[in-house]
Amino acid sequence: MIRKPFGTEDEGVNYARLADEELMQAVQGGDPMAFETIYDRHGGAAFSLAYRIVGTRSAAEDATQDAFLAIWRSRVRYQRDRGSVRNWILGIVHNRTIDALRRNQVHATRRAGAEGIEEREAASELTDVEVFRRDEQRRVRAAIETLPDAQVRVIELAYFGGFTHNQIAEMLDEPVGTVKGRMRLGLDKLRRELAGAMA
Amino acid sequence: MSAHSDQVENVGAYALGALPDLEAQVFERHLMSCEECREELRRLNEAVEVLPGSVTPHEPPPSLKASLMGVVNAEAAPARSSRRLALRQLPRLRPALAWAAAACVLAAFAGYGASELARDEGGGERTLSAQIDEQRLAGGSASLSVPEDDGPGSVLLVSGLPDPGRGRAYQVWVERDGLIESAALFDVDAGGNGAAAVPQSLDDVSAVMVTREPRGGSGQPTEAPVLRVDV
Repeated sequence: MIRKPFGTEDEGVNYARLADEELMQAVQGGDPMAFETIYDRHGGAAFSLAYRIVGTRSAAEDATQDAFLAIWRSRVRYQRDRGSVRNWILGIVHNRTIDALRRNQVHATRRAGAEGIEEREAASELTDVEVFRRDEQRRVRAAIETLPDAQVRVIELAYFGGFTHNQIAEMLDEPVGTVKGRMRLGLDKLRRELAGAMA
Repeated sequence: MSAHSDQVENVGAYALGALPDLEAQVFERHLMSCEECREELRRLNEAVEVLPGSVTPHEPPPSLKASLMGVVNAEAAPARSSRRLALRQLPRLRPALAWAAAACVLAAFAGYGASELARDEGGGERTLSAQIDEQRLAGGSASLSVPEDDGPGSVLLVSGLPDPGRGRAYQVWVERDGLIESAALFDVDAGGNGAAAVPQSLDDVSAVMVTREPRGGSGQPTEAPVLRVDV
């Protein structure tokens, strides 16, 4: 347990052994070493998400750095009782990357990417974190594959493409109500599939 | 159709961030009064939160971390220096039972003014350092994060504070036009860390202060403040 006030680096603290929530307490006190540990744990997932959204490494690097700086600068906003640190971070990364996508109006270049989940490079040597992430990827994708294609499509276009329901309805030539219904039903089914897989 | 039947179809789109701004605002107003939609949103958010896990893992380049930490370390260094300076400059306070006496003590704080630790250029907020009574809060530190417009939502963050005592809690007060009003109560954990949200707008507020009060709070402060942030 950290005994010294947060915000004063303590060489005796083994940051790697602290839980995310404990690290965030230190981050909220302005401790950059705790923040670095948070980045080491979640930077890869954040970069992967940004890459999936923007489609290029350089844009993903910009989006990830922008999001983590926002996390550092708004660190006092983190509330432990509102969910996991990981979900909080990835939510910020998603929102800011989608904002950047919309600002830069690069939707046109991403429409091809929105056709389906892309497979790209694979690391030759997998760390424990990478093994966990690949296991998670398989589990989530397996659940997604149980959804009807039409539901998967609107969810991906919204979440990874940053499109509004109106834009998706226009792209797919479907009524807005149909698109909204597919989003709702698809998310509910995905939640139940994952809950069943974890049971 | 009722407002609920109009809005319930929007839950999935809202969870995915696919509602245009105006529709999202209307939906958020509906959420405030609809437990059913709040519950469905909570359920659907569980699914949205796993979507990042479906993407192909990619490793960020080492240069990204180096660049990020360069900025973070640069921003953290002056904050730490400001805090140490503020702590050294603080007057030593004596406990006082009457608030009138507290006001006299507070006058001693005034000359030092607020020390701005950081300003979030992107997110629109500033962080102010607190002045600590080192006799009663030895080793403690605190800061106040204030929205750029001084609106509601400020957060007081403390660390290294001692236990306020059996049956007691820390109480936050705001000073506005010479009047004191209660803002929040908070506890600290074993490491002395805690946080309190200040619900009031800080517009026209001159200071945010903390005293130690009976658990449940007091109608007015019963001791001189143990920490103070000049806004």
